[in-house]
Amino acid sequence: MGGQARDRSRELRKAQEAIAAQRGRRRPVLIGGAVIIAGLLLAIVITVVNAAGGSDGSGGALVVPQGATAGGALTVGQADAPVRLEVYLDYMCPYCGRFERADSGEIDKLVAAGTVRLELHPLAFLDRMSDGSRYSTRAANAVVTVADRAPAQLSALSAALFANQPEEGKSGLTDARIAELAQQAGVPQQVVDVFPDRIFEPWIARSTEAAFDSGITGTPTVRINGTAFTGDLYTAGPLTQAINAATGTQ
Amino acid sequence: MIAVRRLRHTNGWIFGTMLFSACLSLLASFVLAVDAVRLAADPHTALSCDINAVISCGTVAQSWQAQLFGFPNAFLGLVAEPVVITIAVAALGGVRFPRWFMCAAQGVYTLGVLFAYWLFYQAMFHIGALCPWCLLVTVSTTLVFATLTHVNLRDGNLPVPARLSPALRSAIATDLDALAVTIWLLALALLVVTRYGTQLFA
Repeated sequence: MGGQARDRSRELRKAQEAIAAQRGRRRPVLIGGAVIIAGLLLAIVITVVNAAGGSDGSGGALVVPQGATAGGALTVGQADAPVRLEVYLDYMCPYCGRFERADSGEIDKLVAAGTVRLELHPLAFLDRMSDGSRYSTRAANAVVTVADRAPAQLSALSAALFANQPEEGKSGLTDARIAELAQQAGVPQQVVDVFPDRIFEPWIARSTEAAFDSGITGTPTVRINGTAFTGDLYTAGPLTQAINAATGTQ
Repeated sequence: MIAVRRLRHTNGWIFGTMLFSACLSLLASFVLAVDAVRLAADPHTALSCDINAVISCGTVAQSWQAQLFGFPNAFLGLVAEPVVITIAVAALGGVRFPRWFMCAAQGVYTLGVLFAYWLFYQAMFHIGALCPWCLLVTVSTTLVFATLTHVNLRDGNLPVPARLSPALRSAIATDLDALAVTIWLLALALLVVTRYGTQLFA
């Protein structure tokens, strides 16, 4: 009898010790957990504050490219051309590629002839379509850099980017591939070399915002002397006719 | 503090949290299902591109991942969450479900959670856009899963190996599960703001 009671009290004591030991063992874990939680909260706050502070694009200083309009367009052609053609596009947008293949040859000719002054808005709103690689912004930055430093090659680079347009939802062309296309389009090496500096990204971000604020709902959008062109953008001809018609009315 | 910790292990708290989370999940599924139907009715919405590039339900809804089984994923939420709500309400009313029933619920809901996280991963790293309703689904399914696991471990419903069982129970008793879920959700939040921070506020 006495032996059993001793056994029982020993078991009880053992159980109590086990619980106490467990509490003691868990305490460092709980403290560690609290530290991790505090660290995570701090990291979230810091990230959010940083993000909110640097909301004007990529955080760099705003550099406006040569010949850009206040509305965020690159300008190509003579200032006194009778027709002002505004084109809004994103290098990731498949329909922009179709538009470019159909109409860019005609537009180049009209620009060369002094009929059209092109205002090109390279937007970067499809950054989300390139697996996080921000292809729209990277491509637009290359185009804007060329417009700023080697404007004669702008049209060739734009055409090359659309000719090699990546599929939506894939990671887009690499920086190296963009540089290669620029070299093939005749862009001088010292201009290609500054693509990685991302000089014009803040301007692109601001211009993209300005474009959507001005009532753009998608790309491509084309305006002739300020009026939206609603005809067929994807076969050569209709746009040229509309531009020629606009020349007559001036 | 001790009272709070004791409260956390009561049926009222566990099934109350489960009920609340399942209701949130159902609400989110409902909104997403209605959006999916609207998008299907008007495919031109596909061409109007939303400027809020990162926070965009449309972008996510039009991805193939959003209809993995050939219909909008949200329909699964509409089917499954009412069952969770029923279980939670019944349990709050004092019903004790048989072990096999709770085991089955755990099994099915685990699949649901895995699916929710697969979608979260796809949205974060492949679709490149976030939709607030989808994030709500991620968080609320996590909470439902956590409460279901909590109650099932507490009541010994799951066929866990005998050696592991005391360790799991003592982990629950010392609130390590709550700690783990809190850390997990905060880590997800950090991931979201790190990846999309600048664009969220642009």
